[in-house]
Formats: sequence, structure tokens, C-alpha cells
Amino acid sequence: MTDLLPGSRFPDLDLPDHTGRPRTLSEISGSDPIALLTSRGWWCPKEQRYMRELCRVQEEFEVAYAKIIVVSVDAPEVQSAFRAGLGARFTFLSDFERRWLEQLPLCEGTDTLHDPYRPAAFTLYPDLTINAAFNGYWFWGRATMEELRQEMRAITREIREDWEVPES
Amino acid sequence: MSPELPFAYIRFDGERLSDDPHGPGRRLRIDARCVAGEGVQGAHAHVCALSNEDASLRYDEPEVQQARRDALDWWIPMLGDDLVCISTFALDESRCAGAVTVTTDPRRLDYDPFARLFPGTTVRADFFSRVPPPPGPVIERYSGAPWPAGSFGS
Repeated sequence: MTDLLPGSRFPDLDLPDHTGRPRTLSEISGSDPIALLTSRGWWCPKEQRYMRELCRVQEEFEVAYAKIIVVSVDAPEVQSAFRAGLGARFTFLSDFERRWLEQLPLCEGTDTLHDPYRPAAFTLYPDLTINAAFNGYWFWGRATMEELRQEMRAITREIREDWEVPES
Repeated sequence: MSPELPFAYIRFDGERLSDDPHGPGRRLRIDARCVAGEGVQGAHAHVCALSNEDASLRYDEPEVQQARRDALDWWIPMLGDDLVCISTFALDESRCAGAVTVTTDPRRLDYDPFARLFPGTTVRADFFSRVPPPPGPVIERYSGAPWPAGSFGS
């Protein structure tokens, strides 16, 4: 079992994306910070509400050199349909085999029907070091969009050498 | 040692596409990964660009940004496994000369969102290699690189 605490390194998940193509977290990151969300799945009304919030903030992420990644146990084709319905432009990763779920302390546990991920959020440096972790088992525990903004600001400030405008 | 450039050069003369950087036609920057691996034989390249040297838009223009959003939103998912690679064409730090989408099946190329920027021409090409499509939602570019190429590390 991996501890997912601030300062530790998040595992470099290797999973198919919503189109079925193999991806890794580090490949998606490139050199950018990540907001990584684990999600119960398309069927949960709380997830539907939260994903719509993410779609609102994606317009900021897409111009600010940062990535949004959502992991769930939905199959890629289900994620693709969910993503299209939301109007999301970020990446979904499918752990439909629950290969990583079995290794991470992120199983919901109380839902024996769907056996899904517990809602959680992690903000990651490009090397996948965790800056902050949010437990979203209760809806109010989830990272708000403002908290994600503040997290991206903190990480970006640290990793971009020209955060302070270089002298010309 | 200097880092590898995130772009390569290809040429387009309005009808033909060439990976010879010294060949005839307009010289365009393309994501270097698109021409770095083994070529997919008989692929169809939908070139949304003109051979006219003046035909360009700024990457920051809303129509260019929206074409990239559409690529992430529905164009890449629509192409599915037929997609070989996709790249915009950069001219320099700020100007976009269009884009190319390479597929193994030409039937859906009429939907190409980049054709809203410049008219599309479908050509056969054997030199494009498979590149994982860009993960969203980033639409901004890294300096001088043709989206989706590059990173702050390159």
C-alpha cells in the first residue's frame, strides 16, 4: 500500500485514457503541474456536479500550463461518452481492471456494488511529488476550484524560474 | 549540449507534402515527434494550410485557440485509432500557418476543425509516425513550438 501524503511521490499510473490509448501520469504531465482527481464514476450525481465545476475551471488550466486528470474505474468508452456529455477537454484515465485501485489507499470500500475509487484530489509537481491531498468522501471535503487555483499557483511559483519577471 | 528542438521542418507546395526540409514549397514547423519514428505507409494527411508565405494567423487569435479546443474536445476522440498524429504548423514564436491531421482513414477529414483556419487538402504521405495525441486541456504553446509539441524542459 502506498502512502499518498504531501511530500511523497504519487505512483506513475499507467492506464488507458478515454480513447483507450496507453498513458502514464508522467507523460501527461510533461513539465507541467497536475490536478489529479479520483472519481467514483459517471453514475454518481456528486461526481457529475463536481466534474461540471472542473469543466468551468478547465478554461483556466488550458491557458496556464497545467493539467487536469481524472481517474475512475469506468471503461474508456464510458469515460469518453461522459467526457463528451460534460464538454470536458481534459484527460480521463480508466482503471477498469482496478489494477491500480488494488495498490492505492483510494478504494471507496462502502460501495460494494461499483467498487469504485473514493473521490480525492492530489496536486502534483511535474515529478509527481504530492503538494496537497484532499479527501472527498464527503462532498464538502473535495478541493474547491479556488483551492485548485491556489495549489497551481504555489507549484507554478516554485517550478518556473521566471515567476518573478526576469530583468531585461 | 543544446536540448533537442521540439519541431522539425516539412514543406508544402499546395499539393504535395515533403519531409525534405530543403524541398520545394513553404517551410513549416511541425511537432518533431510526427516525423521522428517509423512512417505509417499510405496514411492520409489533411493539410489545412496554404502555400502562400503570407497565410498565417497568430496563435493567440480566438479562432486558432478554439480549433485547438475542438481538437481536444471532439476531433481527436472522433478519429479514434485511425489517428496517426496531429500538429499545428508554426512559423515562429507567434504565428500559426495551419495544421495537419494524419489518419489511416480519410472519411472523416471533412470535419477537421483546423479547416476553419485554412482550407484542407488531403495528400498521401508515408513519413508520418504515430504519436499519442495531446492530453488536455492545455492549448497554450511552449515558445516557438507548434502545438502540441514541446515543454518547458525542451
